[in-house]
Amino acid sequence: MPEALLEAAGLSRRFGGLAAVDAVDLRVERGAIHGLIGPNGAGKTTLLNLIAGALAVTRGTVSFRGADITRWDAARRAQAGIRRTFQNLKLFAEMSALENASIGLHAGTHAGIFAALARTPAQRAEEERIFARARRALEFVGLGGDAGVAAGKLPYGHRRLLEIARAFVAEPALILLDEPAAGLNQTEAANLSRLIGRIRDAGCTVVLVEHHMDVVMSVCDQVTVLNYGRKLAEGRPAEIQRDAQVIEAYLGRGDAPPSKHALA
Amino acid sequence: MYLAELLAGALAIGCVYSLVALGFAMIMRATSIIHFAQGELLMLGSMSGLSTLWLLPKLPAVAVLICGMVASGILAVAMEFLVYRPLRLRRVALMNVITATVGMSILCINAARLLWGSEPLRYPELFSTSAYRIAGVPVSPQLVWIMAFGVVLMGLLQLFLKRTRTGLVMQAVAQDAEVAQLMGANLTRMMLYTFAIAGMMAGAAGVMFGSLFFSFFEMGFLLGIKGFVAATLGGLGSLAGAMLGGILFGLIETFSAVYVSSAYKDAIGMVLLIAILLFLPSGLVGLWKARG
Amino acid sequence: MESARLKRSLTGIVLLALAALPLFEPHQFVLHMLSLVAISATAALGLQLLLGFSGQLSIGQAAFYGIGAYASGLLSAKLGMPFIVAFFAAGVIAAVVSLVMVPITRLTGAALAVATLGFSILVYLVLKNEEWLTGGSFGLMGIPRASLFGYVLAKPAYAYLLCVAVAAAVYLSLLRLQRSRFGRAINAIRQNEDAARACGVKVTLLKSQCFVIAAFVAGLAGSLYAHQVRYLAPTDFTFWKSVEILIMVVIGGMGSLFGAVLGAAVVVLVPEVLREVGDYRMLIFGAILMVVMLFGEGGIAGFLEQCLRPFSKPRA
Repeated sequence: MPEALLEAAGLSRRFGGLAAVDAVDLRVERGAIHGLIGPNGAGKTTLLNLIAGALAVTRGTVSFRGADITRWDAARRAQAGIRRTFQNLKLFAEMSALENASIGLHAGTHAGIFAALARTPAQRAEEERIFARARRALEFVGLGGDAGVAAGKLPYGHRRLLEIARAFVAEPALILLDEPAAGLNQTEAANLSRLIGRIRDAGCTVVLVEHHMDVVMSVCDQVTVLNYGRKLAEGRPAEIQRDAQVIEAYLGRGDAPPSKHALA
Repeated sequence: MYLAELLAGALAIGCVYSLVALGFAMIMRATSIIHFAQGELLMLGSMSGLSTLWLLPKLPAVAVLICGMVASGILAVAMEFLVYRPLRLRRVALMNVITATVGMSILCINAARLLWGSEPLRYPELFSTSAYRIAGVPVSPQLVWIMAFGVVLMGLLQLFLKRTRTGLVMQAVAQDAEVAQLMGANLTRMMLYTFAIAGMMAGAAGVMFGSLFFSFFEMGFLLGIKGFVAATLGGLGSLAGAMLGGILFGLIETFSAVYVSSAYKDAIGMVLLIAILLFLPSGLVGLWKARG
Repeated sequence: MESARLKRSLTGIVLLALAALPLFEPHQFVLHMLSLVAISATAALGLQLLLGFSGQLSIGQAAFYGIGAYASGLLSAKLGMPFIVAFFAAGVIAAVVSLVMVPITRLTGAALAVATLGFSILVYLVLKNEEWLTGGSFGLMGIPRASLFGYVLAKPAYAYLLCVAVAAAVYLSLLRLQRSRFGRAINAIRQNEDAARACGVKVTLLKSQCFVIAAFVAGLAGSLYAHQVRYLAPTDFTFWKSVEILIMVVIGGMGSLFGAVLGAAVVVLVPEVLREVGDYRMLIFGAILMVVMLFGEGGIAGFLEQCLRPFSKPRA
């Protein structure tokens, strides 16, 4: 069995009386693209937030590279190599695309206040490295031409890509993508699928929350289906598409079933 | 006996704080603005009440109170209409709106100094000077009346907000302006009402405070801050909390002045303020809700 | 010319002009007022870091300004310490006191504003009531003039140059910070805390660092003030002083260091210029403040930027 990069055991999160995520076990293998799907409100984003440390866990544990990180805060997890994008785009709107990407390198770099005041050679070299890497990340996602544009002024599709660049720039071990295809057209979504593949090829493991079934089915190695906060099914994309329970969950909710052509 | 008088004094000043805090809370709920000129509304109400008394010395206390309320209410509406509304329409950043309220406050203070001079002004006796006896304990009528006014005003406000259509719409707007607007609420008018009521509360507090102590062009500053502390104490943006916070702050301040240190009575309030913000961020009301 | 270079050369020209000013032997009073502008600008620059860069609204900067002023005044008047020691000690003491308040940087928005305001009032009360230390309401007298390397800066021109030098040093330091990893991170925090955290930025730590730096800078400004005016009274450090510093930042333009300096000049000088109109001056000042907020979102700096735009190419 391949090595697990991330493991969640009995993970639960309650909001008041409602269990948004209920005793979910999840195992993400190193080097995989792991899809998380499910009808609206199934707890996908909550689960992602629990892995990223944006929400506190009610019960259960999360371990990453064998270490228990359940009590770590978001910044510490980011530092350890778990990066994410946000479904509803949380960019630094007034900063240029290049600066946005450079923030992604904050955790791995060191120059502090005094180094900045003194402009030490080490600080200046680090600044150059930061911007060179940030520029490479922009080029990687295809935003090389937008480096100087304020994030808030970018077209929507480019903002989605910038989110990815900011998460990818530090080449983290695990990258959590929260509905990266939302609002993209067919061509953009196809490009995104290729980008996700390239991110994996660059050595990052990917957890992908997505409604866009074309994207999920074409890139994922493994898919976990959530429903009402619980794990409903797990398997390879082809198995999931045939799973009666999964189809039932989608149809029962009036959502489109996860067929190859459905766009939820 | 001394204790009873002290308690009455604390409750009376607490009512003043409650009224100011109510205004703060209402404005904050509806607009997220920290309205720095709230204290100045109090001062202007106090001054207006005094001026009416100069013109008509025989006026009963209730009438003076109403004069102060009307004056401050009108001024608050004018502020909203002439300054804050244009700021909102231009979608100016909240920080800038708050700074504009500081400008308003400076404007009011200096206008008041030109109109009423820079000396503290004494109110004539509004109430009889012979002490009432409540359960055998002598209490100054002034304090009793102030408490009565305070309680009646707050009661009326609650009735208005809970029982009238306009009041309910105002509540809805404060909770979620967008939804309320979709349901057909007139935001502009509700904002005007909010400021009118906040102004009237401050005006009443001004007359009450003036009759207890004096009126002074700079009085609004510290009273405004204390009202704000009271609002925070209760839980920022909660009306019940504002009332409770005001009374509580009056008690804390009065008793700590006597039993701890009069020089540091304001300091105790501030330490309390910081502690509450840190450890009980949603104020006393939050504590209540967390338990319930 | 590239926009950044244009700004850099403008900054250089302004600094040179300020340094050369005493050569024209202006009136003593003019130099004194300009010294006060430089002192206020220093305090405003500190708040610009806190508010404009990291997005934390403090209306309590007068507390640290006052602590710096009294610390410097007491150390030099009572203990006979040389100015340069008292000056840096003032900054350090203000910064150390601010450490006590660091937990409040967990607060955001209005709550943080109120907490800093409360602290400001606390400090004012201590200054007023601890007569044995501060002289209470009578004030602290007998503060010597600033001196450097044994030379007393007796001429107003020298005192002026000292104030300008400190303001310029703070300005350039903060400029460096703004364009560093630290500066970008606090800017990120201001724009989106969640996203900054997800990038591994230690939000609380960086926010409290900003708080302490702002206090340190305010302390330095306070020290300059103590030795410029040479008499301190608690009433110099009320809540209104905090509001004044805040107004400087907002009028000047949030996020702009140059704006903070311009804002300081406006807040210090406009009431002086309006002295002609006597009692009406603060009235007019209040009105100006509202009008600027209504029509000049970016403050004076934003306005100037628009004026300069035709002359500069955007940065690639």
